[in-house]
Amino acid sequence: MRALRWISFMIVLAGLGWRFPLFHVVPLQQAVAEKKAATFDPTHFAGTFWTNRLLASLDKAVSATVLLPAIQSDPATAKKQFARSVGMGESYFYFVAGTGRVVSVSDDEIRLAVTATGTNADISLPAGPVFGNSLRDGTGLLNVSDYPNSQDFNDISAALNHLVETAVLPPLRTQAKVGVHIAFAGCAEVADESSDLKPLHVVPVMTRLTSNQ
Amino acid sequence: MKTSLLKVLLAASLAVLASLFLPAASAQTAAKDKIAVVVSTLNNPWFVVLGETAKARAVELGYEATIFDSQNDTAKEAANFENIIAGGYQAILFNPTDANGSIASVLKAKAAGIPVFCIDREINATNAATSQMLSDSYSGCVKLGQYFVKTVGKEGEYAELLGIVGDNNTWNRSKGFHSVVDRYPGLKMVAQQSGEFDRAKGLEVMESILQAHPNIKAVFCGNDAMAMGAYQALVTANKADVVKVFGFDGADDVVKLIAEGKIAATGMQFPKLMARQAAEYADSYVKGKRDFAQKIPVPVELVTQQNVSKYGDYGKK
Repeated sequence: MRALRWISFMIVLAGLGWRFPLFHVVPLQQAVAEKKAATFDPTHFAGTFWTNRLLASLDKAVSATVLLPAIQSDPATAKKQFARSVGMGESYFYFVAGTGRVVSVSDDEIRLAVTATGTNADISLPAGPVFGNSLRDGTGLLNVSDYPNSQDFNDISAALNHLVETAVLPPLRTQAKVGVHIAFAGCAEVADESSDLKPLHVVPVMTRLTSNQ
Repeated sequence: MKTSLLKVLLAASLAVLASLFLPAASAQTAAKDKIAVVVSTLNNPWFVVLGETAKARAVELGYEATIFDSQNDTAKEAANFENIIAGGYQAILFNPTDANGSIASVLKAKAAGIPVFCIDREINATNAATSQMLSDSYSGCVKLGQYFVKTVGKEGEYAELLGIVGDNNTWNRSKGFHSVVDRYPGLKMVAQQSGEFDRAKGLEVMESILQAHPNIKAVFCGNDAMAMGAYQALVTANKADVVKVFGFDGADDVVKLIAEGKIAATGMQFPKLMARQAAEYADSYVKGKRDFAQKIPVPVELVTQQNVSKYGDYGKK
């Protein structure tokens, strides 16, 4: 009788253990894959965003031939009409596209004149390292409120800047000679109107040689 | 007839007098709505300014406001929230101690129907606080990193004093700085230690770094309290003239030392702007507004010897 009671107890215990296991055995590869999937991958995100959304949105950029005269005429009105702001700051962004003639090339930047006869630089494209959040914040396609951890949001900036440096700038540096025409599209941050409007410092998503003269 | 007219006139006068005085009297006796200001620590002047400004703006808006000090301890912070929930407060202006560890307290307040507005530091959740006003530490430190390379040069040894390791601001600042400086292989970080955003700890850590690495050219500090501690250690070691100190916050004592050429740069975070805005958001919530952006970045401005005259009193002059 006592043995029967023990057997019943063990069967109940085994049943409970089967229904509510104290631990799960998971293959190591599966555990690593699950952890990786749960971790935000900024490089993968930036690559997908670049291809599927950023390049697809270039037609939303304001034309440089419209924006630059508007800024020259009245920066406040141009800002109101074409700029995008983030948060509570005074700085703002332009998403701009156009074609310009290269007027100077240095280790740090490539300067373009957008007006046909102009010799002064209207646009500056980077030639070296790219910093800041121009591409992340300049188009309005990404919103910080969608990211519980702002470190992920900041990592996107670094990954996008890396894509500019590896995918956009190498051919640009090869093609950019004084006198050639370059088409461009990208975002410019204006933090200080006294220095950032002329030239506009555009971080490019796309550049293309359009003419050798 | 004459007596009854007198009575009517008397009654009318009393009624007018009552209408003049009663509303004021009832307003004086009615209890004011209450706003709680929960600050991560009051052992740092920057957070004192943040808390006092939030409290002052709440008082200006007609609330009774109280500051609670969490002493950089999530347990103490949780106890503060329990007291606030039991105390019938209408809103909480909150400077969290830990991006993950503070979420539970915010969710408790939310469940109790009390809106929470985070100031300066974030929590790693978008479904808990009503809104979060956050210094854009990453971008601010990108600017600091660029200035660091410009002034220190592209070669040499340097050290970094990190803040509290559980705080997102610590890593946003560090990552922003390194996103620039790590591009220059000649710049070697020989020490990276936590000074816990604390002046005394910053001093202590800097002293030990100087003993182990006497040739450093610069130190990047995750906040101004640690920058002050590091500067103090450098003065004691007679190295204040050869090691450049970079801070972050825009604290008044550091801004003054930048003007004197003793500290290289800091990032101005505008604590008063954020604190006032948070109090105004809480007031709007109490008055019925519900559509708030979850995260509102507040830009950080680079303060150097070239532009220091524009800054002071925890903001732009």
